[in-house]
Amino acid sequence: MLQTAFNGLVTGIIVTLPALAITLLFGVLKFPNFAVGSMMTLAAYMVFALNVQLGVPLAVSTAIVAVAFGGLLIGVDYLTFRPLRERGSITLMVASLGLGFILENIARLAYGNTARSFAIELARPFRFFDIRMNREQMITIVVSTLAMLAMYVLLTRMPIGRAMRAVADNPALALVRGIESPRVIRWTWFIAGILLAVGGVLIGMDRALEPPMGSNYLITVFAAAILGGLGSPLGAFVGALIIGIISELATFVIPPNYRIGIPLCVIAMILIFRPQGLFGQPYIRK
Amino acid sequence: MSGEGTDILTISGLHAGYGAGDILKGIEATVRRGRVVAIIGPNGSGKSTLIKTLVGLLAVRQGQIVLDGESMNALNAPARVRAGMSYVPQEYNVFRNLTVLENLKIAREFMTVRTATRSSNPLDDELLALFPELPAKFGMLAGNLSGGQRQMLAFACALTVHPKILLLDEPSAGLSPKYIADIFATVRKVNARGVSIFMVEQNATEALRIADTCIVMANGRVRMTAPASELLAMPDLRSLYLGDAREEAA
Repeated sequence: MLQTAFNGLVTGIIVTLPALAITLLFGVLKFPNFAVGSMMTLAAYMVFALNVQLGVPLAVSTAIVAVAFGGLLIGVDYLTFRPLRERGSITLMVASLGLGFILENIARLAYGNTARSFAIELARPFRFFDIRMNREQMITIVVSTLAMLAMYVLLTRMPIGRAMRAVADNPALALVRGIESPRVIRWTWFIAGILLAVGGVLIGMDRALEPPMGSNYLITVFAAAILGGLGSPLGAFVGALIIGIISELATFVIPPNYRIGIPLCVIAMILIFRPQGLFGQPYIRK
Repeated sequence: MSGEGTDILTISGLHAGYGAGDILKGIEATVRRGRVVAIIGPNGSGKSTLIKTLVGLLAVRQGQIVLDGESMNALNAPARVRAGMSYVPQEYNVFRNLTVLENLKIAREFMTVRTATRSSNPLDDELLALFPELPAKFGMLAGNLSGGQRQMLAFACALTVHPKILLLDEPSAGLSPKYIADIFATVRKVNARGVSIFMVEQNATEALRIADTCIVMANGRVRMTAPASELLAMPDLRSLYLGDAREEAA
């Protein structure tokens, strides 16, 4: 039981980074970005290229790709979403679905459907009280926690983070408070790119690298972000942990193959009973 | 350009609107430096559209907006703020999910031009004197403040930058009578410090008491520009103020 809860916690922690990326992007750009799964896949394959093909250590490869991927997403936004910005959230959402297919298939075209893995040496699992944890799980916990702390500092202590929250809160007021929204949008993509790249690597370490690796997590990631309240960074974190633990514990009651149904049920329940999520603000239409 | 008696804001032949038709149809108005101008008029007369066009939330289709000798037409909303045009919207005028302190910090960080001397203190002595109750609420979410307190915070944010002109959209809307008096007292104090004020207000009588000049709008046009004291002395102010709408409808 404790072991299962711990595994669920790690699953949840893996989801925190993409859930945070979704929630930041939604907050600032006001559309659900369904391309995040494929974005993680693509970033993970870029890390694979550096790590396995060029022999750069995994941590260094991840750092390089994370920053580059942030920049790449600014370019992707410029070509894909910026021309559609005034068309409303449904158009942007559909564009993100299309973009997702393209990105995933770029990875497939380059590396095929074979499952691959990063160059990491196997290590003996580590025991802590009655819980067995492997090295990848520990890396996941440490890296995600550090990333969340960094995000907390960014969003609450730094001007650009406050500006991102301000634009998410009230875009029209942000303009008359002197905040240049294009700049905030670029920063948001850059930070989302870093989160997604690191998230992609963590998923690749936990499972394997294959083209649908990111989109397989899409429902769980959205469930986490919606449960926490889309647009609320704290909510994304808490939502991810809850979803992870519930999904894993549910395997005591339902066959593990149906585990993916849990996040779907959570999405349905939340949308019916508390559409704003745990930490979100009720949507006010003016 | 400086000194009493010159114009701080000049609006000429201004057209703007949403969709196909113009809501503003050739607005002409000026604000003298250090003065208070009140815009009154019936609902739908274009008062809020005018103020949104001035601050850059709505595009100018024709005409000129000149602030202190500098044309504002080509500037976007953030650039107009930094040029000295500060705006307090009617509703949703604070970031509700941010704390009071964060609201003030954003104003200081983004509304001013970046300089080495920019102070990191969110409230200088001058603002502290105007809003003495704010520091005790620094840690509160702005969304949890009362309507009047939110309005005060919005004023404090707008004034952080020492604007050339303060634009107010219905500052008394939705407030209890106690806060309405406070808000108008604050407007008066702000003006006493030399800030020119351009104010759209439903509460015509109160607005005229503190204004120097009053502009009456109807159907997107300026109907009348007169000293506020003159309008206030008119016994049939109310019928004049509402009469335009009836006349236009007929």
